[in-house]
Amino acid sequence: MEYLLHILVIAGIYIILTLSLNLIVGFTGLPSLGHAAFYCIGAYTSSLLALRLGVSPWLGMWAGALLAAASGLIIGYPSVRLKGDYLALATFGMGVIVYSIAKNWVSLTRGPLGLPGIPGFSVFGYQLSSPWMYIPLVYVFVLLTLIVIHRITSSPFGRVLKAIREDETAAQSLGKNTSRYKLLSFMVGAFFAGIAGSLYAHYITFIDPSSFTVMESITVLLMVIFGGMGSISGSIVGAVILVVIPELLRFVGLPSSIAAPMRQMLYGLLLVLLMLKRPQGLMGTYRFK
Amino acid sequence: MLNQLLLNGIIAGSIYALIAIGFTIIYRTVRFFHLAHGAVYTAGAYAAYTLIKLLKVSPILAVPIAVLLSALLGVVIDLLVYRPLRKEGASDLVLLLASFGAFIFVQNLIQLIYGAQILTLRSGEVKEGHHIFGAVITDVQILILLVSLFLMLVLWLFIHKTKIGKAMRAVADDPLGASVVGIDPERIIFVAFLVGSALAGIAGMLISLETNIEPTMGFTAILKGMIAAIIGGIGSIPGSVFGGFFLGLAENLGIWKIPSGWKDAISFVILIIFLLFRPSGIWSALYDRGGK
Repeated sequence: MEYLLHILVIAGIYIILTLSLNLIVGFTGLPSLGHAAFYCIGAYTSSLLALRLGVSPWLGMWAGALLAAASGLIIGYPSVRLKGDYLALATFGMGVIVYSIAKNWVSLTRGPLGLPGIPGFSVFGYQLSSPWMYIPLVYVFVLLTLIVIHRITSSPFGRVLKAIREDETAAQSLGKNTSRYKLLSFMVGAFFAGIAGSLYAHYITFIDPSSFTVMESITVLLMVIFGGMGSISGSIVGAVILVVIPELLRFVGLPSSIAAPMRQMLYGLLLVLLMLKRPQGLMGTYRFK
Repeated sequence: MLNQLLLNGIIAGSIYALIAIGFTIIYRTVRFFHLAHGAVYTAGAYAAYTLIKLLKVSPILAVPIAVLLSALLGVVIDLLVYRPLRKEGASDLVLLLASFGAFIFVQNLIQLIYGAQILTLRSGEVKEGHHIFGAVITDVQILILLVSLFLMLVLWLFIHKTKIGKAMRAVADDPLGASVVGIDPERIIFVAFLVGSALAGIAGMLISLETNIEPTMGFTAILKGMIAAIIGGIGSIPGSVFGGFFLGLAENLGIWKIPSGWKDAISFVILIIFLLFRPSGIWSALYDRGGK
């Protein structure tokens, strides 16, 4: 039971990640392969604030999200000038660079040793410690992300994002500063990925760089594509299915030395099959051009 | 110290150049980033390990078989994944993502079969290297350097002197024009995957004489090869050679002042600078081709 609830918490965190990446990839049409960078920055910022300065996770989380958004600006600024596969490669590179910083800036992050003993969230002085206590917390943030992303994408601002996705030159010719819109989309996406990172760190209570590799970015991108680019309900479905299916492998009793590569093989195969057979995903409104 | 770093840079550079050349030969005919090239490189190393260490085949026979197997893997990936996508006119980005999927699949298949532990092709004791110009070079490193330079020469002859090489250049320059004069692009793509993947397999084997074999080795390799190809001038073979050595030297001279854990970050910083300021790479100024 505890295990099922744990999967539910993890699924919630991935829903936030997938929704936030969908804003960048699915709604704005920017193929970002570096989303784990923002997730990483949110997780490390909030954990380090809690461990070194005793800042409450409730505050640290917003600090993490804001720093992630600021790095979205830094990473997005050069990236949005590129298009298609070059944009994908640049964001990929940014992901590797942030991962390298987490791994090599040992005096700050303890490098590969990771940060153990991260305090959990507490409510009125009561420390949340088990999955069932985290479910309401995480799903409040899922709901918040859902509302914000929905409001953004159905607003005039969101219509400009979709216009950029469909035809950037046309959007420019209507006087829209498309770089600025793309950058804002990057920053909002990064902000929510930062929140997801902070939730993850305080829930698991241990982080190390291996949770924020390029593979993690690809996994979240796969969830976006699988669920459907430009579809909010698709992101929820994509994240939940792709979190749950690999757990089934473990559930049938495969040891993790087999289950882990099988999970990755499944993801790789799914990515290939989606590109071949259904690039718009389950309920997508858009496919990569 | 400086001489040693220069030497290490040249050795690393020759491996990067080999990967980059294979990557470029393929890129020139299909025009997208074939990331699964990294998985072919890993497969080459594991094929050699299986034949030499597990099946005890003599290296003289094992090496050609392993090269052939890696070439076939490249062709199979093309036939199963890329060719159907090409028929539909899929974009570079879709092909890039599909190749990422293929890469992840093959890498983890290898991990499933052989496990995640580190293996080695080396046998016997480690011998002390030769001293030249205040630097130390081992026999294996000399072998790597000689084989890479030899392959570069062979490849140059192949591309410039043979009929099929000329057809490959024609397709790279102008696919439509080439098909008008009767060159079948699919046949040229087939040859490109065969030759490029063989090079990746050889690079994988060479590096496993020098360092260890592990399932994730292809990831860094393809990143370096791809970065070398881009900074050299994507689509240009001399550019790839140049980019490979440039990257190898930049990384190894970089760690003179910066700890070696930052190698990957250094190469990506170089890549991003190039993507932003000179996406057509260094060589395209001299050899106008390929830039986007």
